[in-house]
Amino acid sequence: MISLTSYAFVSMILFSIGVIGVIARRNIFVIYMSIELMLNGITLFFVTFARYHFNLDAQIISILVIAIAAAEAAIFLSVIILLFRSKKSLDTDVFNTLTQGENS
Amino acid sequence: MMADIIFLALSAFAIAGAIAMLTNKSPIYSALGLLITMLSIGGLFALLSASFLFMVQIIVYAGAIMTLILFILMFLNIKEEDLPNEPKKYPLIGLGLILMIPLNILVLKAVSNLPSKDLNITNSDFGDIKPVGIALYNNWLISFELISILLLVALVGSIVLAKRRKPKEKRGEQQ
Repeated sequence: MISLTSYAFVSMILFSIGVIGVIARRNIFVIYMSIELMLNGITLFFVTFARYHFNLDAQIISILVIAIAAAEAAIFLSVIILLFRSKKSLDTDVFNTLTQGENS
Repeated sequence: MMADIIFLALSAFAIAGAIAMLTNKSPIYSALGLLITMLSIGGLFALLSASFLFMVQIIVYAGAIMTLILFILMFLNIKEEDLPNEPKKYPLIGLGLILMIPLNILVLKAVSNLPSKDLNITNSDFGDIKPVGIALYNNWLISFELISILLLVALVGSIVLAKRRKPKEKRGEQQ
């Protein structure tokens, strides 16, 4: 019963929930967690194919993806601290400081 | 049969945690839902006989990154009025659902045409730390070194970004 398709189903559902979180939510923390969820879904896909082809290279790519996610977590959370300190909000619509002249 | 039940339970936990992350208003409950998802995905890795990745997932994701997220959430002391109100959350979720259905159908159709193989846990040392380390240091050495440089850059960058800026002289005099 456990086939390649069922693992692909689970990982595609997780990836889709990540994309929907980036589309639908305005809280910047939830957007960050949705990006992590997308990375996790694709990692599960890679590990499934590593087991399917009995080849370790896909597992090594998954390890590299996890390391990149750790680096991304450090940068993203410090950017969140910076934005929250200057704007006192977690709303993504408030963070428009790069637009020219608008409520500067 | 046992592996089927474990697979069903773990995938149900993973999807339920992801949905809880998507729909909760408070970010701390979202983080706890994501934690459940991370642990379940670690269990799925173990079911795919990737034991080293199982440990990496538990230690790095469920340990380090989730601790960092929860620490930052508690450190910022987020009140109810800091949260954005999202009146169009559920219509946008429905829109995203409709947008993602064709991609899902495409990928699942492509994957289901592949020949079926046995995906149970193997008795060989596939996915243990020794073969993974041999493959990592033989074939992927440059990527590994570049990842170490990337982590160093991220460390320095996060310190520079989160460092408290010195107040300007004029503002200090006015206060």
